[in-house]
Amino acid sequence: MKFATLGVALLAQTAIAADPTLYALMAVTKEYVVGAKLPPSGLFRHEPTGWQHLNYNHPFLFGLDYDRSDPATLYLAAGNGLFRVARKAPEWTQLTGSDVTELRDVSVDPRTGAIYFGHSHGIRVSTDRGSTWRELSAGLHRKYTEAIRADRVNSGVLLVGGEEGIFRSTDSGAKWKLAGAAGIQITRIEQSPRDGCQWLATTYEGGLYGSTDCGKSFEATGRVGLGRNLYDVAFDPTNPARIAVAGWGPGVALSEDGGKTWQSRNSGLPAPEVTAVAFDPAHPGRIYAAVHQEALFVSEDLGKTWSHSGLDGSSVARLKFVPEGGSKQ
Amino acid sequence: MKTLFGLAFATLYMSVPLVAETPEFAQRKLEIIDAYAHYPGPGDAGYGQIAARLWKHENPEWCSRRLEELLAAGPTGDMFWMFPVTAIAHLDQGQLTPSARQALKRAWKTYMPYRGDTENHFLLYYSTLYLMSQYWPNDGPETWYTGKSSAANLEEARQWIENWVKLTTARGQGEYDSPHYMGVYLIPMSYLAAWAKNPAMKKRAQMMLEYLIADYAPENLEGLYVGAHARVYEDQLVERWKGVSSDFGWLWFGVGRRLPMPDNYVLYYALASGFEPPEILKKIGTDRTNAYTHLERKRTRNRWRFNDDLHGPVYKTTYVRKEYAVGSDQGGILQPIQEHSWDVTWSVPDPRGVQNTFFTVQPFSSIHELQTYFVFNPDPAIEGVVKSKKTYDSPDKLLGGSPYESIFQDRDTVIALYNIPAGTRFPGINGFFSKDLGETREDPSGWIFMKAGDSTYIACKPLRPYEWKPIAGGGRRLFSPYPTNGVVVQVAAQSEYPDLAAFGRAILALPLETKVEPTPRVRFRSLRGRVLEFEYGEVPSVDGKHVDYANWPLFGGPFLEAAVDSEKLTMKYGELRRELDFRSLTVKETGR
Repeated sequence: MKFATLGVALLAQTAIAADPTLYALMAVTKEYVVGAKLPPSGLFRHEPTGWQHLNYNHPFLFGLDYDRSDPATLYLAAGNGLFRVARKAPEWTQLTGSDVTELRDVSVDPRTGAIYFGHSHGIRVSTDRGSTWRELSAGLHRKYTEAIRADRVNSGVLLVGGEEGIFRSTDSGAKWKLAGAAGIQITRIEQSPRDGCQWLATTYEGGLYGSTDCGKSFEATGRVGLGRNLYDVAFDPTNPARIAVAGWGPGVALSEDGGKTWQSRNSGLPAPEVTAVAFDPAHPGRIYAAVHQEALFVSEDLGKTWSHSGLDGSSVARLKFVPEGGSKQ
Repeated sequence: MKTLFGLAFATLYMSVPLVAETPEFAQRKLEIIDAYAHYPGPGDAGYGQIAARLWKHENPEWCSRRLEELLAAGPTGDMFWMFPVTAIAHLDQGQLTPSARQALKRAWKTYMPYRGDTENHFLLYYSTLYLMSQYWPNDGPETWYTGKSSAANLEEARQWIENWVKLTTARGQGEYDSPHYMGVYLIPMSYLAAWAKNPAMKKRAQMMLEYLIADYAPENLEGLYVGAHARVYEDQLVERWKGVSSDFGWLWFGVGRRLPMPDNYVLYYALASGFEPPEILKKIGTDRTNAYTHLERKRTRNRWRFNDDLHGPVYKTTYVRKEYAVGSDQGGILQPIQEHSWDVTWSVPDPRGVQNTFFTVQPFSSIHELQTYFVFNPDPAIEGVVKSKKTYDSPDKLLGGSPYESIFQDRDTVIALYNIPAGTRFPGINGFFSKDLGETREDPSGWIFMKAGDSTYIACKPLRPYEWKPIAGGGRRLFSPYPTNGVVVQVAAQSEYPDLAAFGRAILALPLETKVEPTPRVRFRSLRGRVLEFEYGEVPSVDGKHVDYANWPLFGGPFLEAAVDSEKLTMKYGELRRELDFRSLTVKETGR
């Protein structure tokens, strides 16, 4: 990508104009094991008429991202490989082979379009839209990778989370350095949409970790989620100080001061067992929360009250807003 | 030349036996296929009936109609859907209507079978994807659920299958010796042996059929798959006959009793190559004239977390004689959920309804175990497992490995030691005392002497006090709540002693030293005159010599021989030798 084009793309990305669309990766797995009948599950798109199931029934979709230069194309990290999905068709293409399985997360580098994914035994990258792949985990002691993000500001910087903490690479995955949460399992890593040097990571039992130095170091942020498992974290694109975490026990917790203090926002949810949370970038105050094997819930008042929003019986692995349209935005 | 090639091609492609079958084997095979083709049971006919009738060239109109109905209802089952419809496609041979064929083709675009997360899932998935890509060789990516062309699917599948064969013949199966899942390794190899067009793939599959049968043959006692298993279901564990292995033992060797309605694993095996084992395997599978110790090395399942190596070694010992078998692994968590680490199985005239087995376990369940082998979130993990494996998180369970169990076996002696840390979810051990045990005496010495059927005596010495708990459906569970614990078990044939009392006296005469603190330790001179020493967490010794785990063979014993990483297997019986060499894809037989 030429620099001029890149600049336009990044500028547009920080001020997403058109209402983006909410996608959910979910499965109704109450009675499901591999080989059993699976109720409608997989990739869902939220439309004015409700949720639309896009093409294949799929039990194990975990990660979703899109190419900023072509948001009409989604990438899905699935138990059986990485899929490219054309949103309009929607046609699915499996981009990986038999040598990787149990993909946990995917991140498309906003600057280069390189596709990264974490899987059960490492990290892979493709710089040719998924035609070929290269393993990046040689420098990691333990390979299992649950979370991965390409830094949208600093070129070549990657952050990954596995079973031994958060690791950072400044050379596109050639070398890795521990950035924090040593010995703690990481579940999700997110970069602030406003401040590229602010990062948050959720963990199993270790609570929430944060970085304010561009991901070079992470520190425990306090007591939220300590001793329980946190599964998701979201920055509010409309308010830089507002953060939400989702977890098993904490349910939905909201902070209005960048993580210094937290309020529980579970009143009206059927259980404090929340696996995914997302702020609506086009509607300040609107937040979504997925309650395990119950449904998706939406709040228009930042979680003070909730209402049912479909996906009944589902376990949601990921909620993500994606800009609409096939042209560059 | 062209005609000859065409003839050879047609021969390869049809589902004909690889070699001429013996009449007895052919009859048993037909009995299995007929059980499906003429199934009078309840419920709607499924893919099995269609496949069986196509094989018999019976009622093709019904087959087409029923296939379309099933596909219209929507495929389910992932790779367990792929293997029936792959058989139907290959057994069609001009019988199905164009409409039924088109429906089948469409399904491979509109339905995405999940690839699964176990070794058997992958093997089923890739072997059937291989064959269907070969079946529709020139189709583009737009016609497949993968979004890949037939050629790309075929190549991906070929690579995985070849890697699996290489890994298995070098380091052993990961999902080893399962009385149930053995069937889903045999189906793919039977399919490829019958229907793969590539000569190397076909040959490799034919050889792997022999390899898989050889893996079972020395560890079967009249069709029952004995000893340690990577995966077994609880009902098959206590009533050994209930395994799919009973179908295969009966089909291959004519031993034991098949299941009343044969499992569909043996059906699809029969419908494809229906491979009849060579004579040497029949001998190995049935000759129990002399007692023997058989060794195997296997792999653990893929360990995604908490381990530096993807696989760890599994060291198996199985002692077999005509009256009984004793088998074990080294203990530990080698497989999640369904591991079975040691037992005694005794011979009975008719195993149907009989719980002819004895063993102990430490009932272990943990998020850590599940996270090691699975990637799902921890909170709903145990709940998710219990959906299909009901007893996983139960203190009275009888199935599953434990990280706090350490096992040593020498011939028909087993020492199982337990060292359970504080805070473990279910501290204590369970012993399975079958409803079908005969006379049982609790000796003041602490030994328990048991008459097992009309063939076997078992002596068991728990190292700690215990209590008896009833088992639903019959039998008793020995429960001992102590964190440092163990059992010493000695087995003998009833033919060796005039009665149970005499057996007991012989056991009491054996020197036995035990201690349980700080860690369990046993020194025992076995009935076979060997001095066994074993301390929890340490390498055991026999007559002062440490057991050599470093040189444990892939297969070792009087019948099978294979070195780790050799990619070879030598079968032995008398002067007869049959060598499978997977590097050169050759079979060499000598000593006729």
